[in-house]
Amino acid sequence: MDIAAKIRADFPTLEARDGRKPVIYFDNACQTLRPRQVIETIQRYYQEFPACSGRSMHRMAAEVTREVDQARERVAKFLNAGRKEEIIFTRNTTEGVNLIASTLNWKTGDVILVSDKEHNSNLIPWQMVAKRHGAILRIVRTCEDNTFDMEAFEQALKAGPVRLVAMGYTSNLDGVTIPAAEIIKRAHRQGALVFLDAAQTVPHQRVNVRALDVDFLAFSGHKMLGPSGTGVLYGKYRLLEQLEPFLVGGDTVSTSTYDSCQFLPPPEKFEAGLQDYAGIMGLAAAVQYLQSIGYEAIEKQERMLNEFLSEGLEEIPGVRIIGPSDPRLRGGIISFYVEGIDHHRIALMLDQMANIAVRSGQHCVHSWFNARGVIGSVRASVYVYNTLEEAKLFLDSLIKIRKVL
Amino acid sequence: MFCIIAFIVLSILGIFSASNRQLAREALDCVLRRVTLRPCTTGFDEKMKAKILGYVITRSEAGARFLNRYFEPLSWIFFFLLVGSTFFAVRGVYLYYTTGSCNGLNQGGFCVFDPTGQNTQFSGVDESCPVSSEGNVLNLTLEGVDLGGFPKLAGNPNAKSIVFIGSYGCDYSRKAYPMIRRLAQKYGAELVFLYYPVKEHSDYLAKVGYCAYKQDPQKFWDLNDRLFAADKTRLEDEAFVQELLKASGFNAQSVQFCAKDFQTEWVVKQQLAEVRKTNFYGTPTVFIRNEALVGPKPYRVYAIALEGLLYWLK
Ligand SMILES: Cc1ncc(COP(=O)(O)O)c(C=O)c1O
Repeated sequence: MDIAAKIRADFPTLEARDGRKPVIYFDNACQTLRPRQVIETIQRYYQEFPACSGRSMHRMAAEVTREVDQARERVAKFLNAGRKEEIIFTRNTTEGVNLIASTLNWKTGDVILVSDKEHNSNLIPWQMVAKRHGAILRIVRTCEDNTFDMEAFEQALKAGPVRLVAMGYTSNLDGVTIPAAEIIKRAHRQGALVFLDAAQTVPHQRVNVRALDVDFLAFSGHKMLGPSGTGVLYGKYRLLEQLEPFLVGGDTVSTSTYDSCQFLPPPEKFEAGLQDYAGIMGLAAAVQYLQSIGYEAIEKQERMLNEFLSEGLEEIPGVRIIGPSDPRLRGGIISFYVEGIDHHRIALMLDQMANIAVRSGQHCVHSWFNARGVIGSVRASVYVYNTLEEAKLFLDSLIKIRKVL
Repeated sequence: MFCIIAFIVLSILGIFSASNRQLAREALDCVLRRVTLRPCTTGFDEKMKAKILGYVITRSEAGARFLNRYFEPLSWIFFFLLVGSTFFAVRGVYLYYTTGSCNGLNQGGFCVFDPTGQNTQFSGVDESCPVSSEGNVLNLTLEGVDLGGFPKLAGNPNAKSIVFIGSYGCDYSRKAYPMIRRLAQKYGAELVFLYYPVKEHSDYLAKVGYCAYKQDPQKFWDLNDRLFAADKTRLEDEAFVQELLKASGFNAQSVQFCAKDFQTEWVVKQQLAEVRKTNFYGTPTVFIRNEALVGPKPYRVYAIALEGLLYWLK
């Protein structure tokens, strides 16, 4: 029995309802579905101890504090972080990027390196830094097939005082994962810090922050079976300590006078106001669930599906897959466009025909589309619970659309 | 073009579901943009086209191909069909309101508001109403018909006139008669009553009516009301009729006597001949102002014929 067959029953969304077949959910790069274990954990918070963490003395508060602490511990171990205080809970990847962008002590002329196919979340914050602090945003071009160009990177590194390399670890456009360890090594050699946008990595492959020696890394809970609006920013503790506070207020300080305050150490310093405790607990439950499945199974399933889909797509006239031709380099993402057919129309028709959910458009990577003159694409992104039958139906539907339009 | 149809259809569907309401709003935005010769930026038309194609393709690929190719012209055709059917629907509602039939006064044919044709029937289930299959609404007339000898209930000065042709034994006449009485009373109209028997040879009640009216025009209307309300199976029973006469305050014997008179028979024959001059072909037939209404109608239809659309204000 393959892994999908084993775990599908855990996902309520994948049950047939009202006599309708369940959705074929191929929009996992946007958000994944959630297993019961995560949903029940969230429910447990609201039903059993819907209280504040840290602030109050009563038993319910103590329970929340313990759960949040355990969640932090679990995430830290999951990433192999040095200590749990290196884990900052955020609302999403975007918040993690913004936190770093807003709190590093930028100097005029600091260079920030990003790739030419970054998600807006890992582009716009740096554009703002450039605007506000006189930093320089330098774009590292990828190869023609969208894989990482180490030479171009090396040149960009050497060209100036690079303060930060901020790269998408795995692209949400084409599923390509960059050689992060090598990039980090070279960046550190030049004295640069490295931030990795791992929104599309952590859900699909093992990330070991200490082995990578990455300085900062952000990801979202909702792309890895966790609750919507949850995320994590990892940072090396000594670096986090040096950062300025980001959002400030309650829970970020140990004490205050009318004109001063004493900030708490990380991570509290960065977790202002009442947190999404249910979300944090749900995120930990998602991590636990992923660990129980194991990344080998996830990667195997995604590879099998991507190979099958890519092969099928290549046989449809007019279809162009974005990224390298080898599906093994594209994780669980297949981004493509069909010449002469509007990508939104394809997505809407797939939805109407067979209840297939895909994403269409520019996937928040407008800069790449604008630079390459591509209008948009359809993106099918699979995950561990997707099956070969679903992939077949997807291809059959697409073939029909191609025939008709 | 498509936006307009979509807007109309979705507005109607929007009554039932919020998601359709949202789509209707998008459609409206699209319509407004199109009207001002700007492109539809919401992508609404594209969205709907894709949805429709997605629906059709699962049923017929050829159909989807055809639809995709001729989407715009098909939109136009649908638009005209929609305009046409809307016109007919509105007209139907109006006609139903004013005449009791979607298809116009005295017209049969299917009408959604009156699926069983209640308002267009005039022949009784038991064929107890005299009907001629050759009847034609257009030939119905009061011209040249001498109404002088028939029972008449005077109305207000300058009153409009209602002429009611009906039969005591006919279910539909029995249904319409009380409404007409009520109508005449309410609006002070003059009411002329033309009796026409179910079976022409049994004109006994015609004679009774004639004699009763001759004896006392006032009491006649009470008797008439009783005859229309009474158990119709007993109407041919003379003893029963006598009872009704008495109840209305008549000298039953003298009315009976008059009814059997040879002269009465002659007059009644003349009267029935006079009634036939209207070319009526079914009972009840009601003449109100210039209109002839065949078969029982809802009260409102008679009222509109008499007083116009705003009858309820008067
Ligand atoms: C590569 C990448 N970075 C950042 C983001 C932003 O994630 P979020 O919206 O959860 O902040 C996404 C989301 O699609 C992404 O794929």
